[in-house]
Amino acid sequence: MEDRRMSTDTSSWIKADQREITRLCAQTGVMLLQHGAESALVESVARRLGLALGMDSLEVALMANGITVTTICEGRCHTTVRRNIDRGINMHVVTEVQRTMLLAEEKQLDLAGVGRRLGEIQPFRYPRLLVSVMVGLSCAAFARLGLLARGGEADFGTFLLTFIASGVAMQVRQYLAHLHFNPLVNFAAAAFVATSIAAQGVIHGWVDSPKVAMSACVLLFVPGFPLINAVSDMVKGYINTGISRGVMAVLLLLACCGGIICAMTAWNTWTWL
Amino acid sequence: MEHLDLVMNSLLTVLQDFGLAAVPAVGFAMIFNVPKPALKYCAVAGAIGHALRFSLYKIGPLPVEWATLIAACIVSVIGIHWAQKWRAHPKVFTVAAMIPMIPGVYAFTALLAAVEIERKGFSPELLKTALDNGLKAFFIVAALAVGLALPGLLFYRRRPVV
Repeated sequence: MEDRRMSTDTSSWIKADQREITRLCAQTGVMLLQHGAESALVESVARRLGLALGMDSLEVALMANGITVTTICEGRCHTTVRRNIDRGINMHVVTEVQRTMLLAEEKQLDLAGVGRRLGEIQPFRYPRLLVSVMVGLSCAAFARLGLLARGGEADFGTFLLTFIASGVAMQVRQYLAHLHFNPLVNFAAAAFVATSIAAQGVIHGWVDSPKVAMSACVLLFVPGFPLINAVSDMVKGYINTGISRGVMAVLLLLACCGGIICAMTAWNTWTWL
Repeated sequence: MEHLDLVMNSLLTVLQDFGLAAVPAVGFAMIFNVPKPALKYCAVAGAIGHALRFSLYKIGPLPVEWATLIAACIVSVIGIHWAQKWRAHPKVFTVAAMIPMIPGVYAFTALLAAVEIERKGFSPELLKTALDNGLKAFFIVAALAVGLALPGLLFYRRRPVV
């Protein structure tokens, strides 16, 4: 008897609207976290969405792999926790989620509209082959930029070797990511492939400066986004998430080092040090 | 006349740097799945940032970390301007624009030197390589992130950028 009264009380205590708003704010926060937004952005977008939908206040607590959202409306609190699974960096999703929040703030979307718009967001991806070609070109450009800064020169073959090694490695990296391998395993394997291809230039003497190709072809593995996010999180006071992002970035770099060292040992070409 | 030649040479190098830096900015923007209409902003911002840093520390007198900080700060100001026009967070463009300045070679050299110390045992040269490169990488990354955050910290203290 006592139990039943308790349960009817709690279900009527929170209005259905508030529950739905809490869920939407948590979904917003998780979508941003999953796709690589910095903590300050996650918190501000979730909070502004809750306020735009009519809550009195909204509190967000971020953890390394989860998010807690509490809405407060007329003195009543509703809290929910969501686990965050990394889905890879996707600025398209971040932009769309933020625009949904802006539309809600401008009163162009109501509660149902926000839910619908968030549900319709499909992560956009560039074609894999196009990304690999562009990343290959990027690493060749890195090789040239490095030479430019040092005032050095290299032949066309060096850049071609860099292009091929990093393009193939990027293709491997995307394929392994598609098969849902752990990113650390993925990066180590792909770094092995990149260094192995560039090492052929050293062994067969195809190009003038194979050392440049060896170092430039693995630059596609530098986790630039997590590194920058880590520092800017910590600067803005989110030490927790900043540390976890930074540690992950360093682990990814170490995994690549493992791949590079394996390849250099296998082909007996120690060019880095 | 010689002076003019020198100026022309530096100008050509900076222009070359400008063009080359746009490529990795776009390439990595594609890895981050930046929406198509924003790719051109990434390219321009990346080129401006890298060329500015190049002229500040190669032609100008600044150390590389300070040049990075100033370049990142200016890219961030441009990014905020575009972000308000385009209704998206400035990091959507600016992080991809920072990628050409990321100290990848320093970071890898430092970590490989650390692994070498483990393999071959301690030597002052290896430790020097690890520390020199590691600290350089750390300070450049910090300069990039702080430079990007600086306009927000100075001018958007109590209100959101977008």
